[in-house]
Amino acid sequence: MLNKTILFSLLALSLSGCVGLNTVSMTQVPAERENKISTSSSSWNFIGINFSNKFVDVAIDKLKDQCSSGKIEGVYTKHQTTGYLLVFKREVIVSAYCNEV
Amino acid sequence: MLIKMKSMFGLSLLLIGGCSQLHHVHVSDIDQSRGKLTPFTVQVNELGFDAAQTVQIGADVAKSASTSEDLEFIAFILAISNFGPKTGNPVYNDNYAEQVLVEVVKACPSRKITGLTSIREATNIGPVSGEVVRINGYCIN
Repeated sequence: MLNKTILFSLLALSLSGCVGLNTVSMTQVPAERENKISTSSSSWNFIGINFSNKFVDVAIDKLKDQCSSGKIEGVYTKHQTTGYLLVFKREVIVSAYCNEV
Repeated sequence: MLIKMKSMFGLSLLLIGGCSQLHHVHVSDIDQSRGKLTPFTVQVNELGFDAAQTVQIGADVAKSASTSEDLEFIAFILAISNFGPKTGNPVYNDNYAEQVLVEVVKACPSRKITGLTSIREATNIGPVSGEVVRINGYCIN
Protein backbone atom coordinates (compact mmCIF):
# COMPACT_ATOMS: atom_id res chain seq x y z
CA MET A 1 0.00 0.00 0.00
CA LEU A 2 2.83 2.37 0.93
CA ASN A 3 4.72 1.42 -2.24
CA LYS A 4 1.66 2.27 -4.34
CA THR A 5 1.31 5.61 -2.54
CA ILE A 6 4.97 6.46 -3.15
CA LEU A 7 4.72 5.38 -6.78
CA PHE A 8 1.58 7.41 -7.35
CA SER A 9 3.16 10.47 -5.69
CA LEU A 10 6.26 10.17 -7.90
CA LEU A 11 4.10 9.82 -11.00
CA ALA A 12 2.01 12.86 -10.03
CA LEU A 13 5.20 14.82 -9.34
CA SER A 14 6.70 13.91 -12.70
CA LEU A 15 3.57 15.04 -14.56
CA SER A 16 3.03 18.28 -12.67
CA GLY A 17 5.81 20.36 -14.20
CA CYS A 18 7.57 23.18 -12.40
CA VAL A 19 7.97 26.29 -14.57
CA GLY A 20 10.83 28.73 -14.26
CA LEU A 21 10.94 32.05 -16.09
CA ASN A 22 14.45 32.66 -17.42
CA THR A 23 14.12 35.93 -19.32
CA VAL A 24 11.44 38.21 -20.66
CA SER A 25 11.78 41.20 -22.96
CA MET A 26 9.57 43.57 -24.88
CA THR A 27 10.00 46.11 -27.64
CA GLN A 28 8.01 49.28 -28.14
CA VAL A 29 4.26 48.65 -28.42
CA PRO A 30 2.71 50.14 -31.60
CA ALA A 31 -0.46 52.23 -31.63
CA GLU A 32 -2.14 49.81 -34.07
CA ARG A 33 -2.72 46.50 -32.33
CA GLU A 34 -5.49 44.72 -34.24
CA ASN A 35 -3.50 41.86 -35.63
CA LYS A 36 -1.76 39.89 -32.92
CA ILE A 37 0.52 37.01 -33.90
CA SER A 38 2.30 34.54 -31.71
CA THR A 39 4.48 31.49 -31.93
CA SER A 40 6.63 29.27 -29.80
CA SER A 41 9.33 26.69 -30.13
CA SER A 42 10.77 24.28 -27.63
CA SER A 43 13.53 21.86 -26.94
CA TRP A 44 13.35 18.83 -24.66
CA ASN A 45 16.29 17.45 -22.77
CA PHE A 46 17.16 14.90 -20.12
CA ILE A 47 18.66 16.16 -16.84
CA GLY A 48 19.37 19.53 -18.43
CA ILE A 49 21.85 18.34 -21.03
CA ASN A 50 21.41 20.13 -24.37
CA PHE A 51 23.63 20.32 -27.41
CA SER A 52 22.03 23.10 -29.40
CA ASN A 53 20.05 26.31 -29.02
CA LYS A 54 18.76 26.30 -32.61
CA PHE A 55 15.15 26.12 -31.45
CA VAL A 56 15.31 29.90 -30.90
CA ASP A 57 15.89 30.48 -34.63
CA VAL A 58 12.87 28.30 -35.40
CA ALA A 59 10.61 30.60 -33.35
CA ILE A 60 11.86 33.67 -35.25
CA ASP A 61 11.26 32.00 -38.63
CA LYS A 62 7.72 30.95 -37.62
CA LEU A 63 6.97 34.51 -36.49
CA LYS A 64 8.22 35.98 -39.77
CA ASP A 65 6.02 33.57 -41.74
CA GLN A 66 2.91 34.96 -40.04
CA CYS A 67 3.63 38.50 -41.24
CA SER A 68 5.54 38.05 -44.46
CA SER A 69 5.01 41.52 -45.97
CA GLY A 70 4.37 43.71 -42.95
CA LYS A 71 6.06 45.10 -39.88
CA ILE A 72 6.30 42.96 -36.78
CA GLU A 73 6.21 45.30 -33.81
CA GLY A 74 5.71 45.15 -30.05
CA VAL A 75 7.60 41.87 -29.79
CA TYR A 76 7.16 40.17 -26.42
CA THR A 77 9.69 37.37 -25.84
CA LYS A 78 9.52 34.89 -23.00
CA HIS A 79 12.14 32.22 -22.33
CA GLN A 80 11.02 29.63 -19.80
CA THR A 81 11.96 26.17 -18.62
CA THR A 82 9.52 23.55 -17.38
CA GLY A 83 10.86 20.66 -15.35
CA TYR A 84 9.18 17.24 -15.20
CA LEU A 85 11.35 15.44 -12.65
CA LEU A 86 14.34 14.48 -14.84
CA VAL A 87 13.09 15.83 -18.16
CA PHE A 88 13.14 19.53 -19.00
CA LYS A 89 11.43 21.56 -21.67
CA ARG A 90 13.04 24.83 -22.73
CA GLU A 91 10.65 27.09 -24.54
CA VAL A 92 10.73 30.45 -26.29
CA ILE A 93 7.31 32.08 -26.65
CA VAL A 94 7.09 35.14 -28.88
CA SER A 95 4.06 37.30 -29.50
CA ALA A 96 3.86 40.52 -31.51
CA TYR A 97 1.62 42.72 -33.64
CA CYS A 98 1.66 42.54 -37.41
CA ASN A 99 0.97 45.82 -39.22
CA GLU A 100 0.70 45.86 -42.98
CA VAL A 101 2.21 48.95 -44.60
CA MET B 1 37.18 2.77 -5.28
CA LEU B 2 34.47 5.35 -4.63
CA ILE B 3 36.82 8.18 -5.61
CA LYS B 4 37.76 6.36 -8.83
CA MET B 5 34.08 5.87 -9.67
CA LYS B 6 33.39 9.56 -9.03
CA SER B 7 36.39 10.59 -11.18
CA MET B 8 35.31 8.32 -14.00
CA PHE B 9 31.77 9.62 -13.81
CA GLY B 10 33.03 13.20 -13.84
CA LEU B 11 35.35 12.53 -16.77
CA SER B 12 32.63 10.80 -18.75
CA LEU B 13 30.37 13.81 -18.23
CA LEU B 14 33.19 15.98 -19.57
CA LEU B 15 33.52 13.72 -22.58
CA ILE B 16 29.82 14.01 -23.41
CA GLY B 17 31.17 17.41 -24.12
CA GLY B 18 29.71 20.65 -25.38
CA CYS B 19 26.62 21.15 -23.33
CA SER B 20 24.67 24.16 -24.58
CA GLN B 21 23.04 26.62 -22.27
CA LEU B 22 20.70 29.40 -23.25
CA HIS B 23 20.78 32.36 -20.87
CA HIS B 24 18.95 35.19 -22.55
CA VAL B 25 16.91 35.84 -25.70
CA HIS B 26 15.68 39.19 -26.95
CA VAL B 27 13.81 39.62 -30.25
CA SER B 28 13.33 43.06 -31.73
CA ASP B 29 10.90 44.37 -34.34
CA ILE B 30 11.10 42.83 -37.81
CA ASP B 31 10.27 45.01 -40.83
CA GLN B 32 9.46 42.89 -43.87
CA SER B 33 7.71 45.69 -45.78
CA ARG B 34 10.70 47.48 -47.27
CA GLY B 35 12.42 44.83 -49.36
CA LYS B 36 14.08 41.49 -49.35
CA LEU B 37 15.76 40.47 -46.09
CA THR B 38 19.21 38.91 -46.05
CA PRO B 39 20.07 37.20 -42.77
CA PHE B 40 23.38 37.73 -41.01
CA THR B 41 24.92 36.49 -37.78
CA VAL B 42 27.57 38.11 -35.63
CA GLN B 43 29.08 36.09 -32.81
CA VAL B 44 31.68 36.92 -30.19
CA ASN B 45 32.88 34.55 -27.53
CA GLU B 46 35.23 34.36 -24.59
CA LEU B 47 36.59 31.54 -22.49
CA GLY B 48 34.75 31.12 -19.21
CA PHE B 49 36.22 29.28 -16.29
CA ASP B 50 34.54 28.04 -13.14
CA ALA B 51 37.41 27.98 -10.66
CA ALA B 52 35.23 26.78 -7.79
CA GLN B 53 34.06 23.72 -9.73
CA THR B 54 37.63 22.90 -10.76
CA VAL B 55 38.86 23.03 -7.19
CA GLN B 56 35.86 20.96 -6.05
CA ILE B 57 36.81 18.26 -8.57
CA GLY B 58 40.30 18.36 -7.10
CA ALA B 59 38.82 17.92 -3.62
CA ASP B 60 36.81 14.89 -4.78
CA VAL B 61 39.81 13.13 -6.30
CA ALA B 62 42.35 14.07 -3.61
CA LYS B 63 43.93 11.06 -1.97
CA SER B 64 44.26 12.42 1.54
CA ALA B 65 41.38 13.63 3.68
CA SER B 66 43.20 16.80 4.83
CA THR B 67 44.02 17.84 1.24
CA SER B 68 40.42 17.19 0.29
CA GLU B 69 39.18 19.36 3.17
CA ASP B 70 41.58 22.19 2.27
CA LEU B 71 40.48 22.10 -1.36
CA GLU B 72 36.82 22.07 -0.37
CA PHE B 73 37.42 25.19 1.71
CA ILE B 74 39.12 26.91 -1.24
CA ALA B 75 36.22 25.86 -3.50
CA PHE B 76 33.80 27.39 -1.01
CA ILE B 77 35.74 30.71 -0.90
CA LEU B 78 35.85 30.83 -4.71
CA ALA B 79 32.14 30.06 -4.96
CA ILE B 80 31.06 32.81 -2.55
CA SER B 81 33.48 35.26 -4.20
CA ASN B 82 31.61 34.79 -7.46
CA PHE B 83 28.16 34.72 -5.98
CA GLY B 84 25.53 36.99 -7.46
CA PRO B 85 23.41 37.50 -10.57
CA LYS B 86 25.29 36.53 -13.69
CA THR B 87 24.97 34.49 -16.82
CA GLY B 88 27.41 31.66 -17.37
CA ASN B 89 30.93 31.27 -16.03
CA PRO B 90 33.22 34.15 -15.08
CA VAL B 91 35.43 35.42 -17.89
CA TYR B 92 38.73 37.24 -17.57
CA ASN B 93 38.07 39.72 -20.34
CA ASP B 94 34.83 41.60 -19.77
CA ASN B 95 35.21 43.68 -22.96
CA TYR B 96 34.69 40.82 -25.37
CA ALA B 97 31.15 41.87 -26.30
CA GLU B 98 31.95 45.54 -26.91
CA GLN B 99 32.80 45.10 -30.59
CA VAL B 100 29.44 43.50 -31.38
CA LEU B 101 27.82 46.74 -32.55
CA VAL B 102 30.72 47.50 -34.91
CA GLU B 103 30.49 43.98 -36.35
CA VAL B 104 26.72 44.23 -36.83
CA VAL B 105 27.09 47.50 -38.79
CA LYS B 106 29.90 45.94 -40.88
CA ALA B 107 27.73 42.90 -41.68
CA CYS B 108 25.12 45.08 -43.36
CA PRO B 109 26.54 47.31 -46.12
CA SER B 110 23.12 48.90 -46.84
CA ARG B 111 23.01 50.00 -43.16
CA LYS B 112 19.31 49.13 -43.06
CA ILE B 113 19.05 46.56 -40.30
CA THR B 114 15.96 44.92 -38.85
CA GLY B 115 14.91 41.93 -36.79
CA LEU B 116 17.86 41.91 -34.42
CA THR B 117 17.78 38.91 -32.07
CA SER B 118 20.24 38.97 -29.16
CA ILE B 119 21.15 35.60 -27.75
CA ARG B 120 23.37 35.03 -24.76
CA GLU B 121 24.45 31.39 -24.64
CA ALA B 122 27.26 29.14 -23.49
CA THR B 123 28.84 25.83 -24.39
CA ASN B 124 30.04 24.02 -21.28
CA ILE B 125 32.73 21.38 -21.11
CA GLY B 126 33.15 20.67 -17.43
CA PRO B 127 34.46 23.74 -15.59
CA VAL B 128 35.47 25.46 -18.86
CA SER B 129 32.95 27.13 -21.10
CA GLY B 130 32.68 29.21 -24.21
CA GLU B 131 30.59 32.26 -23.30
CA VAL B 132 28.90 33.49 -26.45
CA VAL B 133 27.02 36.60 -27.46
CA ARG B 134 25.25 36.01 -30.76
CA ILE B 135 23.35 38.62 -32.74
CA ASN B 136 21.13 37.46 -35.61
CA GLY B 137 19.61 40.06 -37.84
CA TYR B 138 18.48 40.93 -41.32
CA CYS B 139 19.76 43.42 -43.87
CA ILE B 140 17.07 45.14 -45.92
CA ASN B 141 18.19 45.12 -49.55
